[in-house]
Amino acid sequence: MTEDHHRVSRRTALLSLSALGVAAAGGIMMMPRSASAQALGQNESVEDAIKRLFGGKPMKDGAAAVKLDVPLIAENGAVVPISVSVESPMTPTNYVKHIYVVADKNRIPVVTRVTLAPEAGRAFVGANIRLGESGDVRAIVEQSDGTLLAVKREVKVTVGGCGG
Amino acid sequence: MSDIGKVRLRIPSSVKPGDVVQVRALVIHPMERIERDAQGKIIQKNYNYINKVVAMYLGRTVATFDTTQNVAENPFFTFNFKATDPGQLKVQFLDTTGGRYEGTADIKFS
Repeated sequence: MTEDHHRVSRRTALLSLSALGVAAAGGIMMMPRSASAQALGQNESVEDAIKRLFGGKPMKDGAAAVKLDVPLIAENGAVVPISVSVESPMTPTNYVKHIYVVADKNRIPVVTRVTLAPEAGRAFVGANIRLGESGDVRAIVEQSDGTLLAVKREVKVTVGGCGG
Repeated sequence: MSDIGKVRLRIPSSVKPGDVVQVRALVIHPMERIERDAQGKIIQKNYNYINKVVAMYLGRTVATFDTTQNVAENPFFTFNFKATDPGQLKVQFLDTTGGRYEGTADIKFS
């Protein structure tokens, strides 16, 4: 009785393990493809977008190194100035590779992906973005060694600026 | 709008060798938003918006922005680069209809 029970649980454990392995391999295979073949912006939820972009990689809180500058209250959601600066030496061995800006409540959450080269000298980018409604804005920074740093700030939007 | 594609680049007036220079780039572009019909379904068409911005200095790419429709009309981007030699800074904006708009600025050391 107990043995039976044991066998079943082991089988399910193995099954789920192998499923995990397949998923992980798929994730690695998909990563570079998804960047080029799939459109960056898709009509999806934030969770899906982050899963699609980073494949469930762990993210560290980047509050110490990443500064996300957005207004607390955006009167006009059609034009919201945003800037992200990251403390980084920007040497060829240690630099900020990508900066993603994600707006949680937008119907297409991914706003932009910035790819930087060490020649940039300083990891600072700014842009004017649109926000559909009040919600979190995240900046996710991918460093050259693959570490992900995330910060988010809440923005209150008086008039939404995303028709889509 | 006949102004579409006008690019303006702003760099500091005096640049010294080795400086990290902040560039502000603006392009006049409508950045069309997704339209929906009465049922809330997305109307499928080729929306005209900028999906790539490439900044090059001395022929090397410094920064690339992959953008979606969440970027405001007349997009405005800020980025930095390290000025090592005098030369040309070129910023290209590519949109989904194949439009390619360019702005250049000469980096001179005073």
